[in-house]
Amino acid sequence: MSAQRRTFRIMRGGGPAGSPAALQTYSLELNEHATVLDALEWIRVEQAPDLMYRHSCHHGSCGTCGMMINGKPKLACLTKVDNLASNDIKLEPLVGMEPLGDLVVSPVALMSAYPDNSGYIRESEVNNDAPRPQALSQFERFENCIECGLCMAACPVDEEFQGPAVLAALNRELAKTPERRAEILHAAGRPDGVYRCARALECSRVCPTAVYPAKHIMELRKELEKESSAK
Amino acid sequence: MKKHHVVVIGGGGTGAAIAYDLVKRGFNATVLERGELTSGTTGRHHGQLHCGARYAVADREIARECMEETNTLRKIASESLESNYGLFVALNNDDEEFAPTFIDACLESGIPAEKVPRKQALRMEPKLSEKIGTVVQVPDGTIDAWRLPLQFFAGAQEGGAVIRPFCPVTGVDIEGGRAVAVRIRNLIQQQDERIEADLIVNATGAWASQITKFAGIDIPITPAPGTMLAVRKRLCNMVISRLHPSGDGDIIVPQRGLSIIGTTQYKTDDPDDIKVPRADVDFLYRCADEMVPNFSKQPFHAAWIAARPLAGKSDSIEDGRGLSRDFVCVNHAQHDAVHGLISVIGGKATVLRAMAEKAVDAVCHELGVQEPCTTTETPLPSHRRYYRQGVK
Ligand SMILES: Cc1cc2nc3c(=O)[nH]c(=O)nc-3n(C[C@H](O)[C@H](O)[C@H](O)COP(=O)(O)OP(=O)(O)OC[C@H]3O[C@@H](n4cnc5c(N)ncnc54)[C@H](O)[C@@H]3O)c2cc1C
Ligand code: SF4
Ligand code: FES
Repeated sequence: MSAQRRTFRIMRGGGPAGSPAALQTYSLELNEHATVLDALEWIRVEQAPDLMYRHSCHHGSCGTCGMMINGKPKLACLTKVDNLASNDIKLEPLVGMEPLGDLVVSPVALMSAYPDNSGYIRESEVNNDAPRPQALSQFERFENCIECGLCMAACPVDEEFQGPAVLAALNRELAKTPERRAEILHAAGRPDGVYRCARALECSRVCPTAVYPAKHIMELRKELEKESSAK
Repeated sequence: MKKHHVVVIGGGGTGAAIAYDLVKRGFNATVLERGELTSGTTGRHHGQLHCGARYAVADREIARECMEETNTLRKIASESLESNYGLFVALNNDDEEFAPTFIDACLESGIPAEKVPRKQALRMEPKLSEKIGTVVQVPDGTIDAWRLPLQFFAGAQEGGAVIRPFCPVTGVDIEGGRAVAVRIRNLIQQQDERIEADLIVNATGAWASQITKFAGIDIPITPAPGTMLAVRKRLCNMVISRLHPSGDGDIIVPQRGLSIIGTTQYKTDDPDDIKVPRADVDFLYRCADEMVPNFSKQPFHAAWIAARPLAGKSDSIEDGRGLSRDFVCVNHAQHDAVHGLISVIGGKATVLRAMAEKAVDAVCHELGVQEPCTTTETPLPSHRRYYRQGVK
């Protein structure tokens, strides 16, 4: 197996403890399968025991490991080091969330912005007209959005904006609970809502789970137009 | 009466459920986790909600407990579960011979196992191999490995627990044969702290012996990592398991848009020094293809590894509910003459609530508190609630 030496420049400090944020260099040997998260784990174990970063699932489901990898918002666990264009890899905390030191950010603002009481379960998209166990009214699954905030980091809109993840969740909630229509469309139509979207489509490009937030924003706009033309 | 303060070391699923149970029984609780919450084994597990069928032949009692906990979690944490049942499929003669034993064991454990005619199974899950014979349906499901514990953390926090990620425990203070405080490094504030406790619960799983060492206690634990492999396509809705005695690479768990095959098992010395053996990836693809032939043709998504804690043989480890059931709760007062320290090791993510109930029973016993467990009834707050309450 071919191991290659890689150099990582990792933003350390920068949290509430007051130590200034600064890039620190680490290098280590990695095989061709290693992800950025694998590299961080081994740097922590072998070189920097107090290095902080968020991670849990290691397979793109929890949404905690978002960070700026060579300036782009990505999930560390799904980014293979070999697939990065440069051999010198820069890691910084995800933009758009409050930094808590090293690569850690606080998801409080994003988590609080999701629509109230929105469920996390939806109908499965595969094979739902098949026979199923008697007790089940449908085959179900988790929502696609893993709440990673990459789309929020990638969005170029720099005014007050609820942002792609939140608006996508609003549209999903509209599909699942049509009885909440008035409330949801009100939220979507606010000044910081869908009309702030400049259609840059960056959100859909960076989303690791194919939520396509831009599509949801367009759908909400259409629904709002329907409402106003009905008046 | 003074409220006892219990410090829980380890912010995995076990620590989450213990903290929740503690506050429900009137304790003050602090959880200390060295990294992000669930960054140990919990976040990385295979994600199967075990109804117990997999364990029924070997151990009816653990199977029964899994079934009960599956039902309880569906009641209190349904948003963190894909509750789609599972199919056990026979692929050869050995499997066929095993089938009646399997079904009997499930029924004896209270698991509503039901044979499904082959043709019907292929309509339920059209991606299954044409080679399947006997098919048995059981109430398995999928867990969101991060969001289920987060719901417990949210409930714990609502009840006043303080949850502190990025605070590794670096020492345990013993005074007069009693563990009285823990030392931590607060990585966020970059300072060392000492936290006093009336009782300390060590819920650090594969890392548990590192904590007991701080108290001068040796508990032999062997980290036993296993690999999982995900492809980027939801090939089924139900959990697909091989109808044979539990082995490697015999479960496919669907989750969101993914299908995940697992797992393997080997032994290592250090739970932090684990890397996916490449041979596991080929092996897992082969195993998956036997049950779902096109599995390996789907785009690769991720391969990762997580370490189980295997309790080593030792006189000082009490077999709390039978070692075969791989959950031990050790009161070090009884075994090592150190009061105020209880270790909880092993188990399954599925039974996190039940493990917590037993651990907190032991806490109550040790502190002379009489409060019944009340964690089976009330639905937990949503996972987002943990952050919406304003923690960082
Ligand atoms: C490969 C594999 C697949 C599995 N699949 C399933 C499945 O499909 N379904 C199922 O129900 N179960 C499954 N399990 C079992 C399940 O993952 C575990 O039972 C469960 O996650 C254990 O949780 P825990 O909280 O006890 O341990 P952990 O999640 O490991 O929590 C211990 C925590 O302690 C922390 N810690 C360590 N040292 C310190 C310190 N000094 N200070 C502070 N904190 C510290 C660690 O960072 C860690 O977060 C699987 C396990 C493995 C290994
Ligand atoms: S929409 Fe996609 S990019 Fe945005 S938070 Fe959800 S999963 Fe992440
Ligand atoms: S660690 Fe869960 S998304 Fe990367």
